[in-house]
Amino acid sequence: MPALNGHTAPDLPFPVFQASAKVERYLLYDINTITWLRKNHNILGVLIGTLPQIPQQNVFLGLPLELQPEEARLLVEKGLAYTVNDLDWHTKDMASKTTTQIESIRADLHRDGIEVARELQKSKQKQTREALKRLCSNSFSTVSGDSAAGPDPQAQDDASEETLFADPPTQESTQAQSRLDPKPWTITPTTSYPPLSAPPVPSSPALPKVNPSSYALFAHLHEKDYFISPGIRFGCQFSVYPGDPLRFHSHFLAMSAEWDEEIDLLNLVGGGRLGTGVKKGWLIGGVEDKEEDGRDARDKVEADGGTGVRTFCIEWGGM
Amino acid sequence: MAIDTTPPAPQPSALTSYLKSHALDGSHSPHYQTLALQILHNLQYQHDWTSLHIHTHSPITQKLLLRPLISGLPPHRIYVHPDDQVEELKRGLDPTKGEPEREWVLPTHLAEKWSLRRFGEVFGAVGEEPPEEAGEEDVSRDESEGGGAEGGPGRKKRRGGKRILLATLGDDSTVVYYIVHDGIVKPRQN
Repeated sequence: MPALNGHTAPDLPFPVFQASAKVERYLLYDINTITWLRKNHNILGVLIGTLPQIPQQNVFLGLPLELQPEEARLLVEKGLAYTVNDLDWHTKDMASKTTTQIESIRADLHRDGIEVARELQKSKQKQTREALKRLCSNSFSTVSGDSAAGPDPQAQDDASEETLFADPPTQESTQAQSRLDPKPWTITPTTSYPPLSAPPVPSSPALPKVNPSSYALFAHLHEKDYFISPGIRFGCQFSVYPGDPLRFHSHFLAMSAEWDEEIDLLNLVGGGRLGTGVKKGWLIGGVEDKEEDGRDARDKVEADGGTGVRTFCIEWGGM
Repeated sequence: MAIDTTPPAPQPSALTSYLKSHALDGSHSPHYQTLALQILHNLQYQHDWTSLHIHTHSPITQKLLLRPLISGLPPHRIYVHPDDQVEELKRGLDPTKGEPEREWVLPTHLAEKWSLRRFGEVFGAVGEEPPEEAGEEDVSRDESEGGGAEGGPGRKKRRGGKRILLATLGDDSTVVYYIVHDGIVKPRQN
């Protein structure tokens, strides 16, 4: 069981899987990496996994974690991660496996499946036994001394248990054991690496494609230790949290723009009102075009940690 | 039967007469000047602002502004930084009763499009607090003391930095007011 407290750093750089070459979706499958990123690098992502039986599930989602393109880009730029085309690598690595290796992987899965099924069977039998015992003791207390009760049900139960349900004794032959084995469960491992070997680290990793202005704003806010999650649910581009969203409400609804991009005033009014209604500020920001006004702007850029992003916050005036 | 049944033309509205009574100078286009006057009228008579003044030139750079800006004193504080609010509550003060601060007002029309660059230029042209003006409600644009003390030497810096009240005029003469901060300023929790 891996430690899930986020203390253990994964092997760096770790792979970020691009689900398809056409659509840029970046996925993480390893829960340890995900908790470590959240704890140490303020990277949230969005859990998108549903239970196979409930594909329409929309709460309490699980693995995998989908990273926003901006998050993936940031991780690659910081040298923490590299992108891997999942399908390509999977096919390639699978093809390079020998039949014996594949067989052994399958055998492992089969064995794990049997293990799970056996555990489940055991606990079911235990429940049945306990239920029967309860039933017997109840009937004895109400109809005590009933001659029609036949042999002691407790004893009968114990006896049948021995013959039918006893754990397969170790001296039995493997053939007999496999005959007694329950139908194995189908195991779907959450990670493919292992059993597959992790893809090699490329010398110059491909950078995930991002919208330059939204990435600049993202990087600027991330640099200031904000947690950033996608904002579409709140009518903006990013919702910006001053700490982990599990502990804090968000402070800002953020929207990025080019320095000269025309913004409808109605959007500002609407955004400002939307934010104020939920005690947040509407934040717009973009990379300042600093050619125009020399020294001042350059000083500002240095103070901003080199991102050159300038932001404005809008709140309702209350009048 | 040539009885003239047309009712006499109604008297011009208070706003129309107000606009007519103020001659426009050539510093900005008539649209911007009228817009500023209409916002000023709204501030003065609907929101009880005082010490209203229209600035055509930046008090910092002395250059012509992008458009006329208004400075004025609201009847009560329009903005209290959340940290100040917490401090005042701890000291047992009522943050709504604090002394009002002079504000910059940026007149805009809803149909306009703005950009980050223009906001940056407006913020670059103003200080934290508008310069003190002699004479209340002096709209005659005398810029003789436009470059006065920017906030004054003894004045404490505003928490949250520069801010501007964005006044947006709708086609039906509604004016909405939004506070715009320069930089990341955490929101109020009112």
